[in-house]
Amino acid sequence: MRIEDCIARHSEEEPHRAVVIDAEGSHTYADLYVDIQQCTRELSSGGVSVLPLRATPTYEFIVRYLASHVAGRVAVPLGKDLPKEQFLSCVQRLSRGSFPEGTADVLFTTGTTGRPKGVMLSHEALMANAENLIEAQGYCPGLTFIVTGPLSHIGSLSKVHASLAAGATVRLLDGLRDMNAFFDCIERSPQRVATFQVPSSLRMLLSLGSGRLKANAGKISFIETGAAPMAESDMRRLCELLPGTRLYNTYASTEAGIISTYDYNSLPLLPACLGKPMRHSGFSVTAEGAVLCTGSTLMTGYWQDEALTREVLKGGTLLTSDLGCVDEEGRLRLVGREGNVVNVGGLKVAPEEVEEAMASVTGIADCVCLGVRHPLMGQALKLLLVAGEGDRPTPAEIARQLRTRLEAYKVPQLYEYVSHIERTPNGKINRSAYKS
Amino acid sequence: MRDRIKRLLEEALPLVDLEADFLLGELDSLGVTTILMLLSEEYGVALDSTDATPRNFRSLDSLAEMVRRKLGA
Repeated sequence: MRIEDCIARHSEEEPHRAVVIDAEGSHTYADLYVDIQQCTRELSSGGVSVLPLRATPTYEFIVRYLASHVAGRVAVPLGKDLPKEQFLSCVQRLSRGSFPEGTADVLFTTGTTGRPKGVMLSHEALMANAENLIEAQGYCPGLTFIVTGPLSHIGSLSKVHASLAAGATVRLLDGLRDMNAFFDCIERSPQRVATFQVPSSLRMLLSLGSGRLKANAGKISFIETGAAPMAESDMRRLCELLPGTRLYNTYASTEAGIISTYDYNSLPLLPACLGKPMRHSGFSVTAEGAVLCTGSTLMTGYWQDEALTREVLKGGTLLTSDLGCVDEEGRLRLVGREGNVVNVGGLKVAPEEVEEAMASVTGIADCVCLGVRHPLMGQALKLLLVAGEGDRPTPAEIARQLRTRLEAYKVPQLYEYVSHIERTPNGKINRSAYKS
Repeated sequence: MRDRIKRLLEEALPLVDLEADFLLGELDSLGVTTILMLLSEEYGVALDSTDATPRNFRSLDSLAEMVRRKLGA
């Protein structure tokens, strides 16, 4: 059974039920089924095996994404604001590649170091993720799931899968910039709602929208968070405002899938507790404290990188970069993460990728990209810069140049000129010198 | 007040063009939240998500006007 089979079934049983609502309007399961068939016919005549597409928060994206699966193509949802040059180079690279039988998606993710990696996910993995969420969190017909995050990432895309498989409704919003639009969605929805928000977004909602959150408490079925640590004070505040809402903290990654979840409102409030494994998943921890995952949600491998795949995926077990332990109740407790990756409000950025992009910025002799504490986002990116010859570029000028090569969330917010960058004797950046 | 707000925001949001024709168009959710939280702290006024309207976030002038309105309320 695939997600698309579930849609076909829902379109027969409840054809007039709303399936996707975007800025343009509302679409039913019957509409979606027909539009997928139509788009599949168009795609089937193309003859190529892969479909890169910009993951915009629109019904049109959902149709094309699902149709690519039906047409037997591999869908590659790319960041909606990925610079054009990057998008085209990605399309070119993908068109020359091949994919294992049964691959549904390739999602690009930041690894522990360096360039984004293509994570291959099978149809089986997508369905296993959806079933994990449906069973553990209670997706059902009559629920509207509000998606505000990027659909090129597993965090938000998996919610679309689970909602469509369960016969629920997906409400697509373009981020949380317009917080009022988010609250309007809740208030105007004829159904109870659920959403996924990274901890920094929940902090924004708590800071600026606690009144409206409380006023809508009876309407919110559940809120899931994940991708970054959440402060205990924020968890407590949310429990107070929404006493009858299920509040989940989930362990997931592109490579591992959706692994475990913990309702910190119904159960004791435990920070960094990510619960027990879901139906299709398992976890354990190595002697060194690294989290291992098993089950049918795991990726097939990294696209065109067999060496790295072999390094992390052995005999059906995935070695993650997360550090944790399993408590006496069998629940996963996360401790931290290996590597240099900076977690900017739930989105992972490899500083090396930013430094590589800086090579094209004029007027800079040397630089290092660091993760620094940020009151809202948890971490923010900061660039330390050594000026080259000529005029010093301003932060705004540097940011504009970086934006032509990087997605917006990878462009640092803070900039400081320094006299030199600490390097090791062999010339590598000495990152430990910058750890506070 | 406009200049004070400008200095405050320049430091917190160095990448945002504060003199843009339509300020809200330059901001993401972090930017909007940062502005509301900074202004609330600086001027001791209560601001929440309902204040993040296109009218209030049109420009630095309209932000200053919003703060003045709140101070007078």
